[in-house]
Amino acid sequence: MDSEQKDDSSKRVQLIFSAKSSGPAGSSSKLDELPREEMAQRFTQSLDNAASEVFTMMVGTPLGPSDQAIHPRVADYTAMIGLAGDLCGVLSFRCGNNSALLIAGKMLGTDEHVSDECVRDALGEICNMVAGSFKGQLSDIAEKCMLSVPTVVSGKDYYLYPLVDGLRIQVSKTFEGSLIWMTLDVHNN
Amino acid sequence: MNALRVLIVDDSSVMRKIVDRSLRQAGLEIKEVFEASNGVEALARMQQTRVDLILSDINMPTMDGLELVHQLQAVENAKGVPIVMITTEAGEAHVVQALSCGARGYIRKPFSPDQIKERIIPLLQG
Repeated sequence: MDSEQKDDSSKRVQLIFSAKSSGPAGSSSKLDELPREEMAQRFTQSLDNAASEVFTMMVGTPLGPSDQAIHPRVADYTAMIGLAGDLCGVLSFRCGNNSALLIAGKMLGTDEHVSDECVRDALGEICNMVAGSFKGQLSDIAEKCMLSVPTVVSGKDYYLYPLVDGLRIQVSKTFEGSLIWMTLDVHNN
Repeated sequence: MNALRVLIVDDSSVMRKIVDRSLRQAGLEIKEVFEASNGVEALARMQQTRVDLILSDINMPTMDGLELVHQLQAVENAKGVPIVMITTEAGEAHVVQALSCGARGYIRKPFSPDQIKERIIPLLQG
């Protein structure tokens, strides 16, 4: 990183997210028994299914496939939600400004201009529902899992530091031709 | 079935509008919709108003949906009014807790208008 970039980054807002298990000390879930690769595959598939379900039912537009392997660090909008219990970590949903406006407009059933407040509200709900659907699909291995209320950040001038030391799952999809991204950072219990 | 007066409780204004639209898409005739963004606002509304149906989220700031259902038992206007929880928290423990607090039904987000119809119409008829 050169000095100019360093100066820029020092001015950025730093968002530090942490989720710790709230279960009793020494408790374990079936997740602990799952091999890491199998866990990653299961999480990726569940996250993909959850996002597809939410967009089809609540936005009215099915998501398309994406072969993009590189995920941007930040986007115009980032919605985040914490998971705690058997499954600890942070799920984030990111998208560009146009996608955000379109998602909110479709959720509200309007083609008219949607306020920034409504856009943030809509993206928070998307993230909340994706997380809920995701954890529902894992109920056989992560029975006790709670969700925080969602947080939405707009603008690109920030760093996100999820304080997790475990697994990172990244899923990208297309929405009306634009890319959207989801990242799940999960703690090792 | 008469046109309904409905109270929708959710901290998301977008979700309140989606629920409102879904009720209409499900074929229910809506006379009036009241909105509240948490349990405290919903309780205040119910002290003044009689409705035919209450739809409430669970995870909300200030007062959550489970506490709201519990406190509504003491509100005269809420007596006999079916309460349906609409939430992402669809685990068995949450369902049992909501039903034991007095909720009559449970709808998981995301939902379709058909699911709304399926769960709500029997409650209004029964």
